[in-house]
Amino acid sequence: MKQTLIVFVQDEPGVLNRVASMIRRRNFNIVSIVAGRTEQKQITRMTLVLNEPDKTKQKQVVNNLKALIDVYDVVDVTEVKCHVREYALVKISVNKTYIEDLDLLFSKGHCRVLDQDENAMLIELSGNETNVESAIDILNKHDVLELMRSGKMAMVSGNSDQNKPKLVKSDPNWATQRLLESY
Amino acid sequence: MSKLKNKVLLSGAEIIWECLLKEGVDTVFGYPGGAILPAYDALNNYSDKIHHVLVRHEQGATHMADGYARVSGKVGVAIATSGPGAANMVTGIATAMMDSSPIVCITGQVPSAAIGSDAFQEMDISGAVIPVTKHSYLVMDAKDIAKTIKEAFAVARSGRPGPVLVDIPKDIQSQIIHFNYPEGPVRVPGMPLRKYPEVSDLKNAVKLIMESKKPVILAGHGILISGASKEVAELAELVNIPIGWTLLGSGAIPSSHPLNMGMMGMHGEFSVNNAIQEADLLIACGMRFDDRVTGNATTYSPNSKKIHIEIDPSEINKNIKVDLSIIGDLKTVLQQLNPMLTKKVETNWIDTLTTWQEQSSKRDIINLKTKTLYAAQAIHDIWAETNGDAIVVSDVGQHQMLEAQYYKHDEPNTLLTSGGLGTMGFSLPAAIGASFFRRDKSIWVIVGDGSIQMTITELATAVQENTNINIAIINNGYLGMVRQWQQLFYDERYKETPISSPDYVKLSEAYGLKGLRVKKRSEIADAIKLAESINGPVLVEFIVEQHDMVYPMVATGADLNDMISRPVHDQFQESEM
Repeated sequence: MKQTLIVFVQDEPGVLNRVASMIRRRNFNIVSIVAGRTEQKQITRMTLVLNEPDKTKQKQVVNNLKALIDVYDVVDVTEVKCHVREYALVKISVNKTYIEDLDLLFSKGHCRVLDQDENAMLIELSGNETNVESAIDILNKHDVLELMRSGKMAMVSGNSDQNKPKLVKSDPNWATQRLLESY
Repeated sequence: MSKLKNKVLLSGAEIIWECLLKEGVDTVFGYPGGAILPAYDALNNYSDKIHHVLVRHEQGATHMADGYARVSGKVGVAIATSGPGAANMVTGIATAMMDSSPIVCITGQVPSAAIGSDAFQEMDISGAVIPVTKHSYLVMDAKDIAKTIKEAFAVARSGRPGPVLVDIPKDIQSQIIHFNYPEGPVRVPGMPLRKYPEVSDLKNAVKLIMESKKPVILAGHGILISGASKEVAELAELVNIPIGWTLLGSGAIPSSHPLNMGMMGMHGEFSVNNAIQEADLLIACGMRFDDRVTGNATTYSPNSKKIHIEIDPSEINKNIKVDLSIIGDLKTVLQQLNPMLTKKVETNWIDTLTTWQEQSSKRDIINLKTKTLYAAQAIHDIWAETNGDAIVVSDVGQHQMLEAQYYKHDEPNTLLTSGGLGTMGFSLPAAIGASFFRRDKSIWVIVGDGSIQMTITELATAVQENTNINIAIINNGYLGMVRQWQQLFYDERYKETPISSPDYVKLSEAYGLKGLRVKKRSEIADAIKLAESINGPVLVEFIVEQHDMVYPMVATGADLNDMISRPVHDQFQESEM
């Protein structure tokens, strides 16, 4: 089963490197990663999808992420009601286009034509994984010239406090007795 | 220091030293070079307050800082230049990371404008050490140096300690700014680890402990880091629980403590391993169920409930699934848990363990007359001659395991060794580092002929600093532990494990320290006395039996109590002499 995490990190150079490095080092498997700005300055939000069926390991990766100094908080939304969206750009050759297929696609609202000339049509797809997946299945029957999918972005439904991240900097500076005594 | 009170003009390099003074640093281990020259130039003005130890290889600097940190509980500091200097530090940094040792490494970097141009001696060290540090920094403005160094120290020593690297480009070190020390607490996004446990967890622990009949305490390095030796012993005494320890937990509980049963794991005591397998409750204190202590993880202690007291939540269920985890600082946890325990558990469990202990100790070569000197005998006699009161820094290999078996530590933080990463070459530099804090005790390096040759250059550092350390080289002419594995698991196909050594006595003379050689057991006492009497480094080479192995042993993948014992015929042959 896939695990979906929302990771809130400090907007610093190299932070994506740190997150990716930890995940590779701990032998977890990234399905997709999307990072971008948020409503708060200096905080970057990532949606991280991992291929990790083991519940214990799912907890592990959350704790490992939280151990990173640049990470404010991690919200595991794998089993939380949330909206997950992804995006794709597909270019198909128009000389073989079956209009009825595309009509069906457009009617569902996950598909938009961005650009078209006599040879090629550039289509934008967006929606949840199934929406994009099935649209691509349909387009695959045609002559697909180029295809590019984004990773997933997730946002939790509603505004309950339970899934809200902790976004303040905290003082790490409590040390063990031994380290304290030495100073 | 007075400069800090008002805004003054300081260079980035001066700020580095001012910040180190603020952190209470009086000793640093380093090696100069192009990109760190401004910092070394500024050190001229701080030499009266900070002692700089010139190492011979930057790996040595990190091990020294590590050794210093392990004995003192303070943060050790290592300094190097960019590129190769910084790269040489990586082994030492990884060693410190695996053993949760707080060190701060400060490296020079090529000028900020040249970063990314493959400039001379350029290397992305802050990027390269991401997987082996708690955090790493690249400082791109002198205004950020003080804040960064302050944060680096806070991160290194907070929670579960570990290494931090601060990379500072040469031009930033030379930049002159109006300087004001950032007072107030350090704040970072990363959440601090919990210090205080959940009360509900403690209550559950009490229930499990009171219900148990065959409990065992697994004592780890966390006890030493947390300073919880007293509390763990108290827990054991309150309920009458036997204690087994990990390699890095050596000394956490005095060897002479009646409930201390010995080391667990691959080369641990059979009685301890058997107790773990038979137990109905394990109380893991500040340890992480490393593969070297669990044997086959799927058959590990099959009938026990497991309580894991640990500061780092990511260690829970990592290697062994536990029934109850208590997240918090071990000392704090036990200070709250111990008063909740009301009575001793009625049990003949301890007697059972003692019986097992007697069975396994019969196959010992310490009390046998042997034709040649055995490594175990040499290490045992070092223990006896130093009254078990030395600080021992062991390296990695057979001698490391024998040290753990035969050098009985009664005080915390008196054994330093690279347990997690298993870094050969750790001992000599780590001992030099330790000697700058523990001047009150005799320090013994116990090292194999393979390991010593990895960082033997640091003999020069020991001589230059007139470090008061004694170096016992256990020379069997082999990479002994590797040979042992080739013998047991690769049908005696020895490949590249016989290793030659220089004449260590002549080498000592060349380096300018006293060198001794011991070939017979009867010579050991005098050699040790002589070594202890000399102020300064002394090297003692012990020529030992070449083909001996470390027993008992759990083969990888075997059950923890399925141990290979010393063959009986071994002793017959030898005792005929």
